[in-house]
Amino acid sequence: MKQFRASIVSNRPVSDDFHAIEFTWPSAAGIPAPGQFFTVRVSDGTVPFLRRPFAFSGFDGAGHIASAIYKRRGRGTEILAAKKEGETLDVIGPSGNPFMLPAPNCTPVLAAGGIGLGPVLFLARVLHDAGRRAVFAAGFRTAMDIVDKTLFGQSAVTLCTDDGSEGFKGTTVDYIRQYLERADSVSRTAMVMYACGPMAMLKGCHETAQRFGVTCYVSVEQVMACGVGACMGCVVKAAGGNGYVRVCSDGPVFNSRDIEWI
Amino acid sequence: MDLNVKIGPMTLRNPVGVASGTFGYGSEYESLIDLSAIGAIYTKAITPAPRHGNDVPRIVETPSGMLNSIGLANVGVERFIREKLPFLAASPCAVICNVAGADEDEYVQVMERLEPQGGIDGYEINVSCPNVKHGGLALGTDPALITCLVRRLRQLTKKALIVKLTPNITDITAAAIAAEDGGADAVSCINSLIGMVIDVRAKQPVFRAGIGGLSGPAIRPVGVAMTYRVSRAVSIPVIGIGGIMCADDALQYLLAGASAVQIGSATFADPSTPARVRDGIEAFCIEEKCTCVDDVRRLLR
Repeated sequence: MKQFRASIVSNRPVSDDFHAIEFTWPSAAGIPAPGQFFTVRVSDGTVPFLRRPFAFSGFDGAGHIASAIYKRRGRGTEILAAKKEGETLDVIGPSGNPFMLPAPNCTPVLAAGGIGLGPVLFLARVLHDAGRRAVFAAGFRTAMDIVDKTLFGQSAVTLCTDDGSEGFKGTTVDYIRQYLERADSVSRTAMVMYACGPMAMLKGCHETAQRFGVTCYVSVEQVMACGVGACMGCVVKAAGGNGYVRVCSDGPVFNSRDIEWI
Repeated sequence: MDLNVKIGPMTLRNPVGVASGTFGYGSEYESLIDLSAIGAIYTKAITPAPRHGNDVPRIVETPSGMLNSIGLANVGVERFIREKLPFLAASPCAVICNVAGADEDEYVQVMERLEPQGGIDGYEINVSCPNVKHGGLALGTDPALITCLVRRLRQLTKKALIVKLTPNITDITAAAIAAEDGGADAVSCINSLIGMVIDVRAKQPVFRAGIGGLSGPAIRPVGVAMTYRVSRAVSIPVIGIGGIMCADDALQYLLAGASAVQIGSATFADPSTPARVRDGIEAFCIEEKCTCVDDVRRLLR
Protein backbone atom coordinates (compact mmCIF):
# COMPACT_ATOMS: atom_id res chain seq x y z
CA MET A 1 0.00 0.00 0.00
CA LYS A 2 1.40 3.39 -1.05
CA GLN A 3 0.21 6.98 -1.27
CA PHE A 4 0.96 8.64 -4.60
CA ARG A 5 -0.34 11.11 -7.19
CA ALA A 6 -1.96 9.40 -10.14
CA SER A 7 -2.83 10.99 -13.44
CA ILE A 8 -6.34 10.49 -14.83
CA VAL A 9 -6.29 8.73 -18.20
CA SER A 10 -10.06 8.78 -18.73
CA ASN A 11 -13.14 9.53 -16.64
CA ARG A 12 -16.46 9.08 -18.43
CA PRO A 13 -20.11 8.30 -17.75
CA VAL A 14 -21.04 4.68 -18.51
CA SER A 15 -24.74 4.99 -17.59
CA ASP A 16 -27.04 7.63 -16.10
CA ASP A 17 -25.61 7.09 -12.61
CA PHE A 18 -22.25 5.40 -13.13
CA HIS A 19 -18.80 6.63 -14.16
CA ALA A 20 -15.71 4.67 -15.15
CA ILE A 21 -12.28 6.10 -14.34
CA GLU A 22 -8.83 5.02 -15.48
CA PHE A 23 -5.65 6.38 -13.93
CA THR A 24 -1.92 5.73 -13.89
CA TRP A 25 -0.63 3.21 -11.37
CA PRO A 26 3.07 3.15 -10.42
CA SER A 27 4.55 -0.32 -10.20
CA ALA A 28 6.18 0.63 -6.88
CA ALA A 29 2.71 0.68 -5.31
CA GLY A 30 2.20 -3.05 -5.92
CA ILE A 31 -0.21 -4.95 -8.14
CA PRO A 32 -3.94 -4.56 -7.44
CA ALA A 33 -6.01 -7.77 -7.40
CA PRO A 34 -9.79 -8.25 -7.77
CA GLY A 35 -11.56 -7.42 -4.50
CA GLN A 36 -8.98 -4.88 -3.39
CA PHE A 37 -9.70 -1.17 -3.25
CA PHE A 38 -8.02 2.23 -3.24
CA THR A 39 -8.94 5.52 -1.59
CA VAL A 40 -8.97 8.97 -3.15
CA ARG A 41 -8.88 12.38 -1.54
CA VAL A 42 -11.27 14.06 -3.94
CA SER A 43 -10.71 17.61 -2.63
CA ASP A 44 -7.65 19.40 -1.26
CA GLY A 45 -9.97 21.35 1.03
CA THR A 46 -11.90 20.08 4.03
CA VAL A 47 -15.24 19.32 2.33
CA PRO A 48 -15.64 16.45 1.86
CA PHE A 49 -13.26 15.67 4.68
CA LEU A 50 -12.68 11.92 4.34
CA ARG A 51 -11.12 9.94 1.51
CA ARG A 52 -13.45 7.88 -0.66
CA PRO A 53 -12.86 4.14 -1.14
CA PHE A 54 -13.39 2.52 -4.56
CA ALA A 55 -12.93 -1.09 -5.62
CA PHE A 56 -10.71 -1.75 -8.61
CA SER A 57 -12.62 -2.80 -11.72
CA GLY A 58 -9.47 -3.69 -13.61
CA PHE A 59 -5.73 -3.38 -13.82
CA ASP A 60 -3.60 -3.24 -16.94
CA GLY A 61 -0.18 -4.33 -15.74
CA ALA A 62 1.54 -3.64 -19.08
CA GLY A 63 0.15 -0.10 -19.35
CA HIS A 64 0.28 0.58 -15.59
CA ILE A 65 -3.35 1.69 -15.58
CA ALA A 66 -5.89 0.94 -12.87
CA SER A 67 -9.61 1.41 -13.29
CA ALA A 68 -12.79 1.66 -11.24
CA ILE A 69 -16.52 2.00 -11.80
CA TYR A 70 -18.35 4.24 -9.36
CA LYS A 71 -21.82 5.55 -8.77
CA ARG A 72 -22.37 9.28 -8.53
CA ARG A 73 -24.29 9.49 -5.30
CA GLY A 74 -22.97 12.35 -3.23
CA ARG A 75 -20.64 15.30 -3.09
CA GLY A 76 -17.45 13.22 -3.15
CA THR A 77 -18.33 11.20 -6.23
CA GLU A 78 -19.74 14.29 -8.00
CA ILE A 79 -16.40 16.08 -7.50
CA LEU A 80 -14.57 13.01 -8.78
CA ALA A 81 -16.87 12.73 -11.80
CA ALA A 82 -16.08 16.35 -12.73
CA LYS A 83 -12.34 15.65 -12.95
CA LYS A 84 -10.84 15.58 -16.43
CA GLU A 85 -8.20 13.56 -18.22
CA GLY A 86 -4.73 14.76 -17.21
CA GLU A 87 -5.79 15.96 -13.75
CA THR A 88 -4.07 14.28 -10.81
CA LEU A 89 -5.51 12.29 -7.93
CA ASP A 90 -4.20 11.66 -4.40
CA VAL A 91 -4.45 7.85 -4.28
CA ILE A 92 -3.70 5.26 -1.58
CA GLY A 93 -3.69 1.57 -2.43
CA PRO A 94 -3.90 -1.27 -3.12
CA SER A 95 -5.83 -1.83 0.12
CA GLY A 96 -7.66 -4.75 1.69
CA ASN A 97 -7.74 -8.43 0.86
CA PRO A 98 -8.54 -9.73 -2.64
CA PHE A 99 -10.91 -12.50 -3.62
CA MET A 100 -9.34 -15.90 -3.11
CA LEU A 101 -9.18 -17.37 -6.62
CA PRO A 102 -11.06 -20.65 -7.18
CA ALA A 103 -9.15 -23.94 -7.13
CA PRO A 104 -8.46 -25.34 -10.64
CA ASN A 105 -11.29 -27.90 -10.42
CA CYS A 106 -13.86 -25.34 -9.21
CA THR A 107 -16.52 -23.51 -11.19
CA PRO A 108 -16.70 -19.87 -10.11
CA VAL A 109 -20.19 -18.36 -9.92
CA LEU A 110 -20.11 -14.55 -9.92
CA ALA A 111 -22.84 -12.09 -8.95
CA ALA A 112 -22.60 -8.30 -9.29
CA GLY A 113 -25.28 -5.82 -8.27
CA GLY A 114 -25.23 -2.07 -8.83
CA ILE A 115 -22.23 -0.52 -7.06
CA GLY A 116 -20.69 -3.99 -6.77
CA LEU A 117 -20.07 -4.30 -10.49
CA GLY A 118 -16.42 -3.17 -10.54
CA PRO A 119 -14.70 -5.84 -8.44
CA VAL A 120 -16.73 -8.68 -9.95
CA LEU A 121 -15.95 -7.43 -13.45
CA PHE A 122 -12.25 -7.41 -12.53
CA LEU A 123 -12.51 -10.98 -11.20
CA ALA A 124 -14.38 -12.13 -14.34
CA ARG A 125 -11.63 -10.65 -16.52
CA VAL A 126 -8.84 -12.28 -14.52
CA LEU A 127 -10.63 -15.64 -14.70
CA HIS A 128 -11.24 -15.23 -18.45
CA ASP A 129 -7.59 -14.36 -19.07
CA ALA A 130 -6.60 -17.49 -17.13
CA GLY A 131 -8.81 -19.57 -19.45
CA ARG A 132 -11.30 -20.30 -16.69
CA ARG A 133 -15.00 -20.74 -17.40
CA ALA A 134 -17.19 -18.74 -15.05
CA VAL A 135 -20.88 -18.13 -14.54
CA PHE A 136 -21.36 -14.37 -14.26
CA ALA A 137 -24.62 -12.56 -13.47
CA ALA A 138 -24.78 -8.76 -13.37
CA GLY A 139 -27.93 -7.15 -12.01
CA PHE A 140 -29.59 -3.82 -12.79
CA ARG A 141 -33.01 -2.36 -12.02
CA THR A 142 -34.02 -1.89 -15.63
CA ALA A 143 -32.46 -1.99 -19.10
CA MET A 144 -31.99 1.80 -18.81
CA ASP A 145 -29.55 1.30 -15.93
CA ILE A 146 -27.25 -1.14 -17.71
CA VAL A 147 -23.74 0.24 -18.07
CA ASP A 148 -21.85 0.57 -21.35
CA LYS A 149 -21.57 -3.08 -22.40
CA THR A 150 -18.04 -2.70 -23.73
CA LEU A 151 -17.00 -2.73 -20.04
CA PHE A 152 -17.77 -6.45 -19.94
CA GLY A 153 -15.10 -7.14 -22.57
CA GLN A 154 -14.96 -10.79 -23.46
CA SER A 155 -16.45 -12.08 -20.21
CA ALA A 156 -19.62 -14.10 -20.81
CA VAL A 157 -22.17 -12.23 -18.69
CA THR A 158 -25.86 -12.78 -18.05
CA LEU A 159 -27.58 -9.44 -17.57
CA CYS A 160 -30.42 -9.52 -15.05
CA THR A 161 -33.05 -6.79 -14.71
CA ASP A 162 -35.61 -6.56 -11.93
CA ASP A 163 -38.37 -5.74 -14.43
CA GLY A 164 -37.23 -8.06 -17.20
CA SER A 165 -36.69 -5.17 -19.62
CA GLU A 166 -33.47 -6.88 -20.70
CA GLY A 167 -31.92 -10.28 -20.14
CA PHE A 168 -33.02 -12.49 -17.26
CA LYS A 169 -36.09 -11.20 -15.40
CA GLY A 170 -35.23 -11.10 -11.72
CA THR A 171 -32.30 -10.41 -9.44
CA THR A 172 -28.84 -11.95 -9.64
CA VAL A 173 -29.79 -13.95 -6.55
CA ASP A 174 -32.84 -15.36 -8.42
CA TYR A 175 -30.62 -16.24 -11.36
CA ILE A 176 -27.98 -17.98 -9.28
CA ARG A 177 -30.58 -19.82 -7.22
CA GLN A 178 -32.09 -21.22 -10.41
CA TYR A 179 -28.66 -22.09 -11.74
CA LEU A 180 -27.79 -24.00 -8.59
CA GLU A 181 -31.19 -25.72 -8.55
CA ARG A 182 -30.57 -27.03 -12.06
CA ALA A 183 -27.04 -28.21 -11.28
CA ASP A 184 -26.60 -31.71 -9.87
CA SER A 185 -25.19 -32.14 -6.40
CA VAL A 186 -21.82 -33.38 -7.67
CA SER A 187 -21.13 -30.28 -9.77
CA ARG A 188 -22.43 -28.07 -6.94
CA THR A 189 -19.70 -29.32 -4.66
CA ALA A 190 -17.19 -27.94 -7.16
CA MET A 191 -18.74 -24.45 -7.22
CA VAL A 192 -17.64 -21.34 -5.40
CA MET A 193 -19.59 -18.09 -5.33
CA TYR A 194 -18.28 -14.52 -5.49
CA ALA A 195 -20.58 -11.58 -4.88
CA CYS A 196 -20.44 -7.82 -4.54
CA GLY A 197 -23.38 -5.44 -4.29
CA PRO A 198 -25.89 -4.06 -1.82
CA MET A 199 -26.13 -5.81 1.58
CA ALA A 200 -29.58 -7.27 0.82
CA MET A 201 -28.19 -8.90 -2.31
CA LEU A 202 -25.15 -10.25 -0.47
CA LYS A 203 -27.41 -11.69 2.19
CA GLY A 204 -29.43 -13.41 -0.57
CA CYS A 205 -26.23 -14.81 -2.06
CA HIS A 206 -25.10 -16.06 1.35
CA GLU A 207 -28.44 -17.77 2.05
CA THR A 208 -28.48 -19.36 -1.40
CA ALA A 209 -24.92 -20.58 -0.96
CA GLN A 210 -25.74 -22.01 2.46
CA ARG A 211 -28.79 -23.81 1.10
CA PHE A 212 -26.75 -25.55 -1.59
CA GLY A 213 -23.61 -26.08 0.50
CA VAL A 214 -21.51 -23.77 -1.67
CA THR A 215 -18.71 -21.55 -0.35
CA CYS A 216 -19.49 -17.89 -0.92
CA TYR A 217 -17.11 -14.93 -0.84
CA VAL A 218 -18.65 -11.49 -0.51
CA SER A 219 -17.08 -8.06 -0.88
CA VAL A 220 -18.66 -5.72 1.64
CA GLU A 221 -19.06 -1.96 1.61
CA GLN A 222 -19.01 0.31 4.67
CA VAL A 223 -18.30 3.99 5.37
CA MET A 224 -14.56 4.30 6.05
CA ALA A 225 -12.42 6.86 7.82
CA CYS A 226 -8.79 5.69 7.82
CA GLY A 227 -9.00 2.84 5.30
CA VAL A 228 -5.96 1.11 6.83
CA GLY A 229 -7.37 -0.68 9.90
CA ALA A 230 -6.52 1.94 12.51
CA CYS A 231 -9.77 3.68 13.42
CA MET A 232 -12.18 0.74 13.89
CA GLY A 233 -14.84 2.76 12.09
CA CYS A 234 -15.76 0.60 9.09
CA VAL A 235 -16.74 -2.56 10.94
CA VAL A 236 -19.49 -5.10 10.33
CA LYS A 237 -20.73 -7.66 12.85
CA ALA A 238 -18.79 -10.91 12.89
CA ALA A 239 -20.68 -14.22 12.90
CA GLY A 240 -21.40 -15.98 16.19
CA GLY A 241 -21.51 -12.85 18.35
CA ASN A 242 -17.77 -12.61 18.00
CA GLY A 243 -17.51 -8.82 17.92
CA TYR A 244 -16.77 -6.95 14.74
CA VAL A 245 -14.48 -7.21 11.74
CA ARG A 246 -12.97 -4.26 9.89
CA VAL A 247 -14.06 -3.99 6.27
CA CYS A 248 -10.91 -2.10 5.20
CA SER A 249 -8.29 -4.45 6.59
CA ASP A 250 -9.96 -7.74 7.63
CA GLY A 251 -12.00 -7.52 4.38
CA PRO A 252 -13.45 -6.13 2.21
CA VAL A 253 -13.72 -9.73 0.99
CA PHE A 254 -15.08 -12.18 3.56
CA ASN A 255 -16.25 -15.75 3.51
CA SER A 256 -20.00 -15.09 3.91
CA ARG A 257 -20.09 -17.50 6.89
CA ASP A 258 -17.84 -15.14 8.87
CA ILE A 259 -20.34 -12.27 8.88
CA GLU A 260 -23.57 -11.90 10.81
CA TRP A 261 -26.43 -11.32 8.38
CA ILE A 262 -29.14 -9.20 9.94
CA MET B 1 17.34 22.87 14.15
CA ASP B 2 16.51 21.11 17.39
CA LEU B 3 12.79 20.37 17.60
CA ASN B 4 13.00 18.52 20.92
CA VAL B 5 10.17 19.06 23.36
CA LYS B 6 10.20 18.11 27.03
CA ILE B 7 7.01 16.73 28.60
CA GLY B 8 7.72 15.89 32.24
CA PRO B 9 10.57 13.36 32.31
CA MET B 10 10.14 12.58 28.59
CA THR B 11 11.85 14.23 25.64
CA LEU B 12 10.00 14.09 22.31
CA ARG B 13 12.10 14.27 19.16
CA ASN B 14 9.65 16.77 17.72
CA PRO B 15 6.37 18.36 18.85
CA VAL B 16 4.11 16.48 16.41
CA GLY B 17 2.30 13.41 17.75
CA VAL B 18 -0.51 11.34 16.31
CA ALA B 19 -3.67 11.31 18.40
CA SER B 20 -5.15 8.34 20.20
CA GLY B 21 -7.82 6.51 18.24
CA THR B 22 -6.64 7.80 14.88
CA PHE B 23 -3.43 5.80 14.57
CA GLY B 24 -4.36 2.34 15.89
CA TYR B 25 -1.27 0.72 17.36
CA GLY B 26 1.13 2.26 14.86
CA SER B 27 1.73 -0.71 12.60
CA GLU B 28 -1.42 0.01 10.57
CA TYR B 29 0.25 3.08 9.04
CA GLU B 30 3.72 1.58 8.68
CA SER B 31 3.61 1.22 4.89
CA LEU B 32 2.33 4.78 4.37
CA ILE B 33 4.19 6.87 6.94
CA ASP B 34 7.84 7.17 7.90
CA LEU B 35 7.39 6.89 11.64
CA SER B 36 10.70 8.67 12.26
CA ALA B 37 8.97 11.92 11.24
CA ILE B 38 6.60 11.61 14.19
CA GLY B 39 7.38 12.79 17.71
CA ALA B 40 5.02 10.49 19.57
CA ILE B 41 2.40 7.85 18.95
CA TYR B 42 -0.57 8.04 21.32
CA THR B 43 -2.04 4.53 21.16
CA LYS B 44 -5.63 3.53 20.76
CA ALA B 45 -7.22 3.62 24.25
CA ILE B 46 -6.32 0.56 26.32
CA THR B 47 -8.82 -0.93 28.79
CA PRO B 48 -8.34 -3.94 31.12
CA ALA B 49 -10.52 -6.28 29.01
CA PRO B 50 -10.97 -6.23 25.22
CA ARG B 51 -13.89 -4.10 24.04
CA HIS B 52 -15.87 -4.83 20.88
CA GLY B 53 -17.03 -1.20 20.70
CA ASN B 54 -20.31 0.37 19.66
CA ASP B 55 -22.86 -0.82 17.12
CA VAL B 56 -22.61 0.29 13.48
CA PRO B 57 -22.61 2.80 11.93
CA ARG B 58 -19.64 4.28 13.72
CA ILE B 59 -18.60 7.03 11.33
CA VAL B 60 -20.49 9.85 9.67
CA GLU B 61 -18.94 12.70 7.76
CA THR B 62 -19.83 16.24 8.82
CA PRO B 63 -18.99 19.70 7.44
CA SER B 64 -15.17 19.90 7.58
CA GLY B 65 -15.00 16.98 9.95
CA MET B 66 -16.44 13.72 11.10
CA LEU B 67 -18.44 12.27 13.93
CA ASN B 68 -17.41 8.95 15.46
CA SER B 69 -19.05 6.46 17.75
CA ILE B 70 -16.31 3.84 18.09
CA GLY B 71 -16.82 3.19 21.81
CA LEU B 72 -13.20 2.48 22.77
CA ALA B 73 -13.01 -0.72 20.71
CA ASN B 74 -9.62 -2.16 21.64
CA VAL B 75 -7.78 -5.43 22.16
CA GLY B 76 -7.43 -5.05 25.95
CA VAL B 77 -4.23 -4.63 27.93
CA GLU B 78 -3.02 -8.26 27.75
CA ARG B 79 -3.21 -8.55 23.97
CA PHE B 80 -1.79 -5.04 23.71
CA ILE B 81 1.29 -6.12 25.62
CA ARG B 82 1.64 -9.39 23.68
CA GLU B 83 0.78 -8.32 20.14
CA LYS B 84 0.98 -4.54 19.79
CA LEU B 85 3.66 -3.24 22.14
CA PRO B 86 6.64 -5.05 20.52
CA PHE B 87 6.13 -3.09 17.25
CA LEU B 88 5.68 0.20 19.09
CA ALA B 89 8.67 -0.39 21.35
CA ALA B 90 10.87 -0.92 18.29
CA SER B 91 9.55 2.19 16.52
CA PRO B 92 11.63 5.37 16.44
CA CYS B 93 8.97 7.53 18.14
CA ALA B 94 7.94 8.00 21.74
CA VAL B 95 5.16 5.60 22.77
CA ILE B 96 2.42 7.05 24.91
CA CYS B 97 -0.24 4.59 26.01
CA ASN B 98 -3.74 6.02 26.16
CA VAL B 99 -5.37 4.48 29.23
CA ALA B 100 -9.14 4.20 29.75
CA GLY B 101 -11.40 2.47 32.22
CA ALA B 102 -14.94 2.27 33.56
CA ASP B 103 -13.84 3.33 37.04
CA GLU B 104 -10.70 4.35 38.91
CA ASP B 105 -9.67 0.76 39.59
CA GLU B 106 -9.67 -0.08 35.89
CA TYR B 107 -7.27 2.77 35.09
CA VAL B 108 -5.02 1.50 37.89
CA GLN B 109 -5.30 -2.07 36.59
CA VAL B 110 -4.16 -1.07 33.08
CA MET B 111 -1.27 1.05 34.34
CA GLU B 112 -0.06 -1.63 36.72
CA ARG B 113 0.14 -4.09 33.84
CA LEU B 114 1.86 -1.61 31.51
CA GLU B 115 4.34 -0.13 33.98
CA PRO B 116 6.78 -3.10 34.10
CA GLN B 117 6.85 -3.36 30.27
CA GLY B 118 9.71 -1.87 28.27
CA GLY B 119 9.24 0.58 25.41
CA ILE B 120 6.61 2.84 26.98
CA ASP B 121 7.52 6.51 27.39
CA GLY B 122 4.37 7.80 29.02
CA TYR B 123 0.65 7.58 29.58
CA GLU B 124 -2.24 9.67 28.41
CA ILE B 125 -5.19 9.27 30.75
CA ASN B 126 -8.45 9.31 28.84
CA VAL B 127 -11.04 10.96 31.07
CA SER B 128 -12.87 12.44 28.13
CA CYS B 129 -14.29 9.83 25.76
CA PRO B 130 -17.81 10.93 24.78
CA ASN B 131 -18.74 7.46 23.51
CA VAL B 132 -18.82 5.33 26.65
CA LYS B 133 -21.25 5.31 29.54
CA HIS B 134 -18.74 5.02 32.36
CA GLY B 135 -15.30 6.46 32.96
CA GLY B 136 -15.18 8.82 30.01
CA LEU B 137 -17.00 12.12 30.29
CA ALA B 138 -18.52 11.64 33.75
CA LEU B 139 -15.04 11.44 35.24
CA GLY B 140 -13.54 14.14 33.06
CA THR B 141 -16.11 16.79 33.96
CA ASP B 142 -15.62 16.49 37.73
CA PRO B 143 -12.39 18.22 38.86
CA ALA B 144 -12.39 16.47 42.25
CA LEU B 145 -12.58 13.04 40.57
CA ILE B 146 -9.78 14.00 38.15
CA THR B 147 -7.44 15.03 40.97
CA CYS B 148 -8.24 11.85 42.89
CA LEU B 149 -7.60 9.59 39.88
CA VAL B 150 -4.41 11.34 38.79
CA ARG B 151 -3.06 11.27 42.33
CA ARG B 152 -3.50 7.47 42.42
CA LEU B 153 -1.94 6.97 39.00
CA ARG B 154 0.94 9.32 39.85
CA GLN B 155 2.00 6.90 42.57
CA LEU B 156 2.30 4.10 40.01
CA THR B 157 4.72 5.72 37.59
CA LYS B 158 7.63 8.09 37.15
CA LYS B 159 7.03 8.20 33.40
CA ALA B 160 5.21 11.08 31.73
CA LEU B 161 1.61 11.28 32.91
CA ILE B 162 -0.67 13.28 30.63
CA VAL B 163 -4.37 13.90 31.19
CA LYS B 164 -6.56 14.26 28.09
CA LEU B 165 -9.20 16.89 28.74
CA THR B 166 -12.72 17.09 27.42
CA PRO B 167 -14.09 20.27 25.85
CA ASN B 168 -17.58 19.18 26.91
CA ILE B 169 -17.39 21.14 30.14
CA THR B 170 -18.29 24.63 31.30
CA ASP B 171 -14.79 25.58 32.44
CA ILE B 172 -11.98 23.47 31.02
CA THR B 173 -9.39 25.31 33.15
CA ALA B 174 -10.90 23.78 36.30
CA ALA B 175 -10.26 20.29 34.88
CA ALA B 176 -6.73 21.27 33.83
CA ILE B 177 -5.92 22.68 37.28
CA ALA B 178 -7.35 19.50 38.83
CA ALA B 179 -5.01 17.39 36.68
CA GLU B 180 -2.03 19.54 37.64
CA ASP B 181 -3.00 19.29 41.34
CA GLY B 182 -3.07 15.51 41.01
CA GLY B 183 0.49 15.50 39.73
CA ALA B 184 0.06 15.32 35.96
CA ASP B 185 3.07 16.24 33.81
CA ALA B 186 0.92 17.70 31.04
CA VAL B 187 -2.61 17.99 29.69
CA SER B 188 -3.86 17.17 26.18
CA CYS B 189 -6.39 19.68 24.98
CA ILE B 190 -8.91 18.72 23.52
CA ASN B 191 -10.72 15.42 23.02
CA SER B 192 -13.64 15.40 20.56
CA LEU B 193 -16.70 17.59 21.07
CA ILE B 194 -20.07 15.93 21.45
CA GLY B 195 -22.14 16.02 18.28
CA MET B 196 -25.19 14.45 16.71
CA VAL B 197 -26.37 13.87 13.18
CA ILE B 198 -30.01 12.97 12.60
CA ASP B 199 -31.17 11.07 9.56
CA VAL B 200 -34.19 13.16 8.60
CA ARG B 201 -35.82 10.50 6.41
CA ALA B 202 -35.43 7.81 9.11
CA LYS B 203 -36.29 10.40 11.81
CA GLN B 204 -33.60 9.02 14.10
CA PRO B 205 -29.98 9.76 15.01
CA VAL B 206 -27.46 8.14 12.65
CA PHE B 207 -25.68 6.58 15.63
CA ARG B 208 -27.37 4.01 17.82
CA ALA B 209 -25.90 5.82 20.84
CA GLY B 210 -27.30 9.10 19.50
CA ILE B 211 -24.36 11.32 20.38
CA GLY B 212 -20.85 10.87 19.01
CA GLY B 213 -17.50 12.67 19.08
CA LEU B 214 -16.86 15.47 16.59
CA SER B 215 -13.34 15.93 15.22
CA GLY B 216 -11.60 17.53 12.26
CA PRO B 217 -10.99 21.12 11.17
CA ALA B 218 -14.54 22.03 12.25
CA ILE B 219 -13.41 21.98 15.90
CA ARG B 220 -10.04 23.71 15.46
CA PRO B 221 -11.07 27.17 16.76
CA VAL B 222 -12.53 25.49 19.85
CA GLY B 223 -9.29 23.62 20.48
CA VAL B 224 -7.15 26.72 19.98
CA ALA B 225 -9.33 28.77 22.36
CA MET B 226 -9.24 26.08 25.04
CA THR B 227 -5.48 25.65 24.63
CA TYR B 228 -5.10 29.42 25.05
CA ARG B 229 -7.11 29.43 28.27
CA VAL B 230 -5.63 26.23 29.73
CA SER B 231 -2.04 27.24 29.07
CA ARG B 232 -2.64 30.40 31.10
CA ALA B 233 -4.24 28.50 33.96
CA VAL B 234 -1.59 25.83 34.57
CA SER B 235 2.19 25.76 34.61
CA ILE B 236 2.55 22.24 33.12
CA PRO B 237 2.86 21.81 29.33
CA VAL B 238 -0.26 21.75 27.18
CA ILE B 239 -0.52 19.47 24.13
CA GLY B 240 -2.86 21.00 21.56
CA ILE B 241 -5.25 18.82 19.55
CA GLY B 242 -8.17 19.48 17.29
CA GLY B 243 -8.47 19.89 13.54
CA ILE B 244 -4.80 20.37 12.65
CA MET B 245 -4.44 19.88 8.88
CA CYS B 246 -1.24 21.83 8.17
CA ALA B 247 1.72 23.53 9.86
CA ASP B 248 -0.09 26.86 10.24
CA ASP B 249 -2.90 25.12 12.12
CA ALA B 250 -0.34 23.56 14.47
CA LEU B 251 1.38 26.92 14.87
CA GLN B 252 -1.91 28.44 16.00
CA TYR B 253 -1.86 25.94 18.88
CA LEU B 254 1.81 26.62 19.65
CA LEU B 255 1.22 30.39 19.61
CA ALA B 256 -1.83 29.87 21.84
CA GLY B 257 0.47 28.30 24.40
CA ALA B 258 0.85 24.61 23.52
CA SER B 259 4.25 22.91 23.86
CA ALA B 260 3.36 20.12 21.44
CA VAL B 261 0.47 19.07 19.22
CA GLN B 262 -1.33 15.95 18.06
CA ILE B 263 -2.68 15.27 14.59
CA GLY B 264 -5.98 13.39 14.70
CA SER B 265 -8.45 12.72 11.94
CA ALA B 266 -6.41 14.72 9.40
CA THR B 267 -4.22 11.61 9.13
CA PHE B 268 -7.28 9.83 7.68
CA ALA B 269 -7.64 12.47 4.97
CA ASP B 270 -3.90 12.62 4.27
CA PRO B 271 -1.41 10.34 6.03
CA SER B 272 1.42 12.71 5.08
CA THR B 273 -0.03 15.37 7.43
CA PRO B 274 2.19 14.69 10.48
CA ALA B 275 5.41 14.91 8.43
CA ARG B 276 4.24 18.06 6.62
CA VAL B 277 3.32 19.71 9.92
CA ARG B 278 6.68 18.81 11.43
CA ASP B 279 8.55 20.28 8.43
CA GLY B 280 6.41 23.43 8.50
CA ILE B 281 7.02 24.02 12.21
CA GLU B 282 10.75 23.65 11.64
CA ALA B 283 10.69 26.13 8.74
CA PHE B 284 8.72 28.62 10.86
CA CYS B 285 11.12 28.30 13.78
CA ILE B 286 14.11 28.91 11.53
CA GLU B 287 12.44 31.91 9.89
CA GLU B 288 11.47 33.38 13.27
CA LYS B 289 14.91 32.62 14.72
CA CYS B 290 13.48 30.47 17.51
CA THR B 291 16.09 28.42 19.33
CA CYS B 292 13.50 25.89 20.47
CA VAL B 293 9.83 25.06 19.88
CA ASP B 294 8.90 26.58 23.24
CA ASP B 295 10.02 29.97 21.89
CA VAL B 296 7.06 29.97 19.47
CA ARG B 297 4.55 30.56 22.24
CA ARG B 298 6.40 33.71 23.34
CA LEU B 299 5.85 35.21 19.89
CA LEU B 300 2.12 35.71 20.46
CA ARG B 301 1.34 39.41 20.64
